[in-house]
Amino acid sequence: MALTARSSSTRTEADANRQLSRVLAWIGQLRRGSRGLYRVLRANPLTLVGFALVVLLTLTAVALVIVPPISAAFGHPMSLTPYDPNALLPCPTVGNQSFCAQPPSLEHFFGTDRAGRDVFSRVLTALPLDLAIGFLIAGFALLTGGGLGLIAGFWDRPGTIGAAVSLTIMRITDVFLAFPSLVLALAIAASLGRGTIPSIIAILLTWWPYYVRLTRGEVLAVKHQPYVTAARAAGVAEWRILFRHVLRNIAEPLVVYFTMDVGTVLVVFSTISFIGIGVPPNVPEWGNMIQAYSDYLLIFPWVVAFPGLAIFVTVLAFSLLGDGLRDILDPRSRRALSQAETTTRAPAAAATAAGASG
Amino acid sequence: MLPPQPQPRRGPRGDVVAEPLLEVKGLSVDYEVGAGTFHALSDVSLELPAGHVVGIVGETGCGKSTLAHAIPRLLREPPARIRSGEVRFRGMDLLTLPKWKLPLVRGTGISMVFQEPINSLNPAFRVFDQLAEAVRIRKMRESGQAPGLVPGSEGFDYSKREGPKPADALTRPLLPSRPEARKGFSRVLHRVDFREDALDYLRLVRINDPETILDLYPHELSGGMRQRIMIAMALSEKPSLLIADEPTSALDITIQAQVLTLMKELIEEIRTSILFISHDLGVIAEMADDVGVMYAGHLVEFGPVDDVYEHPRHPYTKALLRSAPNQYKDDGPLPSLPGSVPNLSRLPSGCSFHPRCPLAKPVCSDDPGPVLEVQKGTAAGHEAACYFSEEVAGLP
Repeated sequence: MALTARSSSTRTEADANRQLSRVLAWIGQLRRGSRGLYRVLRANPLTLVGFALVVLLTLTAVALVIVPPISAAFGHPMSLTPYDPNALLPCPTVGNQSFCAQPPSLEHFFGTDRAGRDVFSRVLTALPLDLAIGFLIAGFALLTGGGLGLIAGFWDRPGTIGAAVSLTIMRITDVFLAFPSLVLALAIAASLGRGTIPSIIAILLTWWPYYVRLTRGEVLAVKHQPYVTAARAAGVAEWRILFRHVLRNIAEPLVVYFTMDVGTVLVVFSTISFIGIGVPPNVPEWGNMIQAYSDYLLIFPWVVAFPGLAIFVTVLAFSLLGDGLRDILDPRSRRALSQAETTTRAPAAAATAAGASG
Repeated sequence: MLPPQPQPRRGPRGDVVAEPLLEVKGLSVDYEVGAGTFHALSDVSLELPAGHVVGIVGETGCGKSTLAHAIPRLLREPPARIRSGEVRFRGMDLLTLPKWKLPLVRGTGISMVFQEPINSLNPAFRVFDQLAEAVRIRKMRESGQAPGLVPGSEGFDYSKREGPKPADALTRPLLPSRPEARKGFSRVLHRVDFREDALDYLRLVRINDPETILDLYPHELSGGMRQRIMIAMALSEKPSLLIADEPTSALDITIQAQVLTLMKELIEEIRTSILFISHDLGVIAEMADDVGVMYAGHLVEFGPVDDVYEHPRHPYTKALLRSAPNQYKDDGPLPSLPGSVPNLSRLPSGCSFHPRCPLAKPVCSDDPGPVLEVQKGTAAGHEAACYFSEEVAGLP
């Protein structure tokens, strides 16, 4: 009786120790990763700009979403936008003519539009929606397209069920790729009717085939590498080879493509709004705002220019970050960058060890 | 109730002999590519007793690597196709085993060291991650938390320098996983639990400063270091059979000597069975107990290494030994064999060596060609596939 009790308690203790060592190893990995990030950012100023912009945009978007309800819950309703994005501000009048569209000033940073709405507030309000759409659509495409691409690339041994499955996946992908995705998205969006959700669905349905192609090609290139055969020879199970050895080596192009794609999705979504079958006009959205006033580009350029600038900056930020991520994810260039910066302990020691024993 | 007792294996004179660890019977492998069907292996049979080191020697393209990859079924199929034959590893036919069971045999049963140390380590992971994965696979199988058709050995640890008896490999039972051991997620072993084991194996392959090496990526190491880490990975699974596929070919000559010395020491220390594949006669003489000579996908001679080298019974072996530069005594050009290796898609009829053979007679081109036969007047187990093996000794 006593013996059982003691053995079970030592077992839980050993378990706890093991859990602790795992957590510590995980923290160590995180620290190593963040140190690599820091070095890449320091070595590459453009990546730093992209990273800073993405962080800034994301934090602003999160703040814009969570501050109003939280502040309201505490009894002090607060908004991060200077004006209500849909409020029609009083227009200054000269004689019997009113001039609603005012140029940028200290009062209205981005000016006001023809209906007298503050453009800065509208651009800011649109930020969470546009970012969420970019991440959601690109993320969904990454998961579905990437998953299908993994299957199609890995189980393609001729004469098996896997080959039939991957053939089916690739042919369906080809059908989708045969249409220009923008035209297909427009057609689907038009047939679903005007609205935010229909246009999101339209892009979701047309966005994944590119990821299937990309992933499958990468898997095919990696899966016959000697290190995959070596892992197989070591007795690693097939699913583990796929998710650990193959996926880790193709993650780099996928993640880079994903970050750049967030920007592309934004542009396409704005295009759908711009054509007028996307978001309803009263919802602040960048493409929508450009569309509403594109006719007045030469008369009140600020109404169109600032939403356009917002799209430009966001897309640029993600592109720069994606470029830098390539360096962070590749151990080779990560070490090369860090060595260019400072001579770290490990490679120097490795050189000594290699010289002494190799 | 006792499990049914297997029938003991009988030798040629009816006496009970030990079951070989690996038995390849009539293995034929084709490569089907656009240019035609290449017969990479034709009817290869060999036996590897537990605790022995068997060398396979032959020139480039004779099917050595195909043999090495075909045994644990690591060939790319297609283009490769195993036409016929049997690969019995500890009594299991690996060619009829369902595909999902193969990973259970690999690693702890048959492990492998590859030709290219540069690409055989995953560039995305540190040395530790890869070494620990191998240790984890073995420990999971030993503890019964993961199924393994050939459980790792119990009760000894190579890194502690305690060699098991060679015959242990034969008496280990085949165990599936114990279902009760798989319960409890927290007790599933994770690779961070194996830092000490990984360090032990790095020390075993004589790597200085293993603490630092463990945290490096493969591209930060030299070729010799990578090959040693590959060997450490293979050994850390305590395989019954280690297949070394030209482990030193890609290395320069000084590193080659170091790795060979290391492997020789390890063979002494751990007494695992090794199938050692090389194109270098000297390396085979150094490492192996038995040697098999391959030519154009055929095993033409097999026997104890000293006996084969001193009394070759196949004209090809004789020519191969004669053209080795270590017998060159400044008396003219190095002797070479006239003609060239036949195209594997259009093998000559009969004995595939007959177009180049100094002993060839009309009978040599008749199908089927000669088969491996025990040679009289030589050491036990010396076989050669030649009709005129008695006359080989008289060749220059």
